[in-house]
Amino acid sequence: MAEEESQLEEFEQIDFLRDRHVRFFQRTLQVLPERYASLETTRLTVMFFAVSGLDVLDALDVIDRNNMIEWIYSLQVLPTEDQSNLSRCGFRGSSHIGIPYSVKGPGVLHPYDSGHVAMTYTGLTSLLILGDDLSRVNKQACLAGLKALQLEDGSFCAVPEGSENDIRFIYCAACICYMLDDWSGMDIQKAIEYIRGSMSYDNGFGQGAGLESHGGWTFCAIASLCLMGRLEEALSQRELDRIRRWCIMRQQSGFHGRPNKPVDTCYSFWVGATLELLDVFQYTNYEKNRNYILSTQDRLVGGFAKWPDSHPDPLHAYLGLCGLSLIGEPNLRKVHPALNITQRAFQHLQQLQQTWRDNAGTCT
Amino acid sequence: MFYRDRKEWADLEPVPQDDGPNPVVKIAYSEKFSDVYDYFRALLKKDERSDRAFALTAEAIELNAANYTVWHYRRVLLQALQKDLREEMRYITDIIEEQPKNYQVWHHRRMVVEWLNDPSEELEFIADILSQDAKNYHAWQHRQWVIQEYKLWDNELEFVEKLLEEDVRNNSVWNQRHFVISHTTGYSSPAILDREVQYCLNQIRKAPHNESAWNYLKGILQDRGMSSHPGLLEQVLELKETHCSPYLLAFLVDCYEDALENNNQKETLNRALEVCEYLAQEKDTIRKEYWLFLQRSLESRFECIDVLLCQGISPLLKSDIKNGV
Repeated sequence: MAEEESQLEEFEQIDFLRDRHVRFFQRTLQVLPERYASLETTRLTVMFFAVSGLDVLDALDVIDRNNMIEWIYSLQVLPTEDQSNLSRCGFRGSSHIGIPYSVKGPGVLHPYDSGHVAMTYTGLTSLLILGDDLSRVNKQACLAGLKALQLEDGSFCAVPEGSENDIRFIYCAACICYMLDDWSGMDIQKAIEYIRGSMSYDNGFGQGAGLESHGGWTFCAIASLCLMGRLEEALSQRELDRIRRWCIMRQQSGFHGRPNKPVDTCYSFWVGATLELLDVFQYTNYEKNRNYILSTQDRLVGGFAKWPDSHPDPLHAYLGLCGLSLIGEPNLRKVHPALNITQRAFQHLQQLQQTWRDNAGTCT
Repeated sequence: MFYRDRKEWADLEPVPQDDGPNPVVKIAYSEKFSDVYDYFRALLKKDERSDRAFALTAEAIELNAANYTVWHYRRVLLQALQKDLREEMRYITDIIEEQPKNYQVWHHRRMVVEWLNDPSEELEFIADILSQDAKNYHAWQHRQWVIQEYKLWDNELEFVEKLLEEDVRNNSVWNQRHFVISHTTGYSSPAILDREVQYCLNQIRKAPHNESAWNYLKGILQDRGMSSHPGLLEQVLELKETHCSPYLLAFLVDCYEDALENNNQKETLNRALEVCEYLAQEKDTIRKEYWLFLQRSLESRFECIDVLLCQGISPLLKSDIKNGV
């Protein structure tokens, strides 16, 4: 009897509820209740989770892409007439500062208006996913804003006013430079030094030197180096093998982020993607990983949570899907493990970049 | 009472959020929330430097402590109005106790500590936060910053040992152990290295299934010659009988690999391959494919000289190619 019951439970858990997830992301893009107030300054990243999530589900047709593209452009911090704010350009996370809605320049002078590196990154990726050609992005301004954020030690702050600095923002910066096909926005060598300095005695990466190694920061480290095209230059084969070992030990059923911590759905992507970039994801246990991710699926409202029987949120919903995509779950689009967008969106980016290069060639 | 109804605020025009005709991920704020933030935006626009502005930031923070612009503006006001920083320390202490996983509050505390140039409360405060969540990454990060910035190394190893007694599996504490020792005595002296190796093995005897202890042991030895530390291999082989774990076996493979790099012996290679097989089939089956992959790569790297001679291949040439990987 017990065996039958557990087989039935297993079947229920294995059932991937695509339509619920589509609706979950649709609702995310509409209105969230006040208890989500802490997400105000990062609304653009929440949009990215939903839009990229819909892309992975091959369901972008359910949203109004053009309207969303306009909203993203309204978040761009553009240069003022006198260009005095170039080092503050990029994208905002939301309208929380109170700048009047505008999708074109010149920028409005405001004592506290500036871009945020994670918003510039997710703004650009979201535009790409929605099919935009980035023609209204002031690339030079974005790169100037980015440059202003890098510190002596190679790490980045999030905003020019100052903030904590660590490896997360190096990843955001690397994505920005990669997408804009222009690495003048950062000192790559210094960034590599910071990344190397963040490698722990146990061969994972911490948020900075001396800090505890962690699946999220390890992803930032490896993905950044891959985007820079410097993985094998920055790390020896011996180091790469040791990093592979640290990462692969994170699998318990699903994955956790640090030794002796509980598993959490999002690490199926952070660690999974890192393993994929290091060519050893194929040696993980797909079935146990899948079973864990699906056990965190919310069968009623859709989305995924970090743990079973917990509330789903856009981040875990998106990364849960990406985790499933990595193991080849049917009907999910493949995800580019370093840039964290679908291969489809990545191809769109490649085509755009080819056009830019062709145009640059024909300019006199 | 709403700000919009207060006489003393009548001079300010509130500034609403403007998301345009098609807002995305819109958050539905209550009237109270919007009122506070409409006035925050008004103050921000004129960059007002006043006590009323300072007071309002506290309300804005209470509604959303993750708004980094509010915190930045509050810091501008703290300096412009020459506010009492000791009082600010008390304030930020309370907020962190309520919301210990928020980036902005820890950054704010760091700024105030720097301005005061006074870290004297920090270690005790962080210890209190850690007593509620011993793995809080922000807390450990702040702790490392304070210790390094103000050279407060003296009692940290003692703190580490106390926490390891409470939970020997706390990976953050093992990391802190490495942080302290590498910045003070270092690991070069044989006495220290041996002390640490023995400490690890003792903790492993008490709690064998502990990845953190094994990671630390490997970490301090991996660039100092794992297989050359006197008596270690023997101790590990002994532990294998009574305190086995996937981590012990992985450590063994790494010891053998290290030995092979210095002295490629068929016997050593066979032992390494056997342990990989044991891990794959019995002791760490979730990583079966990985252990088999490792087995294949060890085999191909250290394929023995006599095998090569049988194949009629010059051993030097082939091993050059293999070991070049």
